[in-house]
Amino acid sequence: MLSNPEVPVIDDADLVRKAQAGDLGAFEELVRRHQHGLFSYLYRMCRNSSDAEEMAQAAMVKAWEKLGGFRGASSFKTWLYRIGTNLCFNLRSRRKPTEELHETMAAPDSERPEAAFQQKLREEAVRKALHCLPEDQRAALVLSVYQDMSYREIAESLGKSVRAVDSLLFRARTNVRKVLAKDRARGII
Amino acid sequence: MSNHSMNCGRLKRLLPPFLDEELPGRMREVVESHLASCPVCRAELEALRADMALLEQVRTPEVSPYLVIRVMAEVRQQKRTAQRGFARLAGSLAAALVVAVSIGAGVLFGSGIAGTITPVAENSTEEAVSYVESSAADMYAMMAGGD
Ligand SMILES: [Zn+2]
Repeated sequence: MLSNPEVPVIDDADLVRKAQAGDLGAFEELVRRHQHGLFSYLYRMCRNSSDAEEMAQAAMVKAWEKLGGFRGASSFKTWLYRIGTNLCFNLRSRRKPTEELHETMAAPDSERPEAAFQQKLREEAVRKALHCLPEDQRAALVLSVYQDMSYREIAESLGKSVRAVDSLLFRARTNVRKVLAKDRARGII
Repeated sequence: MSNHSMNCGRLKRLLPPFLDEELPGRMREVVESHLASCPVCRAELEALRADMALLEQVRTPEVSPYLVIRVMAEVRQQKRTAQRGFARLAGSLAAALVVAVSIGAGVLFGSGIAGTITPVAENSTEEAVSYVESSAADMYAMMAGGD
């Protein structure tokens, strides 16, 4: 989205202050800003878009409930993601892995079926590789690769230290790359 | 061979934070100088970069356009419930005040009648008012305690 340079963009911290004073419009803007990122994070954690959407909704409503206690020690974004992380880890620990659904997405390029097929194979390989990881490693890697978060932001989103995040990311990358190397050797990717 | 102290094994551990631009300046320089003289670690860095690029290719489904609507509906519902709760509390406080004032007025009126039998001090009105106030305060305290 492009922002008009004439109109100063209200930052999250200002929106949070307004929302804390009861401004629902300000809170709605925060929801709009973070819905895609939060949903995509949760989708990559649970591989099921209806669960991811349910969790994103629950996380945002919980954020509203707890907003009065938010003091801005972290950014609103990582605070929100922390709520989402907790919901996600709790849901997953109650759920059997066999209940996870696999969803296919519409092919982006129907005029080049071969390329679309290759893309699909690559995506499937990556998804499987991500799902071989323990959830804390996966969460760290997803936030790093897809949300482009710094180690500090990942630490805040997961409730861990920066040092722990560095270690999680190293192990996550090593494990994912082992799986991808096997796929490559078998000619899948 | 290279003129740095770090071996390839230790350097490999630093490649991910190097790629993520999370290394402090000094460490970054050490990694850069090793990479400049070590083709094996340079190849390793490129392989890491390629695998991360592969991960990035995976798409996410679009978020439902109704997510914001559903979140805000739930938030508004909660706000209304909270406001109704507040209105009920304010209503019961007002009712308590009316009761307290009535009791106080009764005492005031009663003391007036009693005055015909028992001598009443000049400041009886002030006493009655202060009684009204203190009973209202008691009422608030009682309500606050019982909530
Ligand atoms: Zn080397």
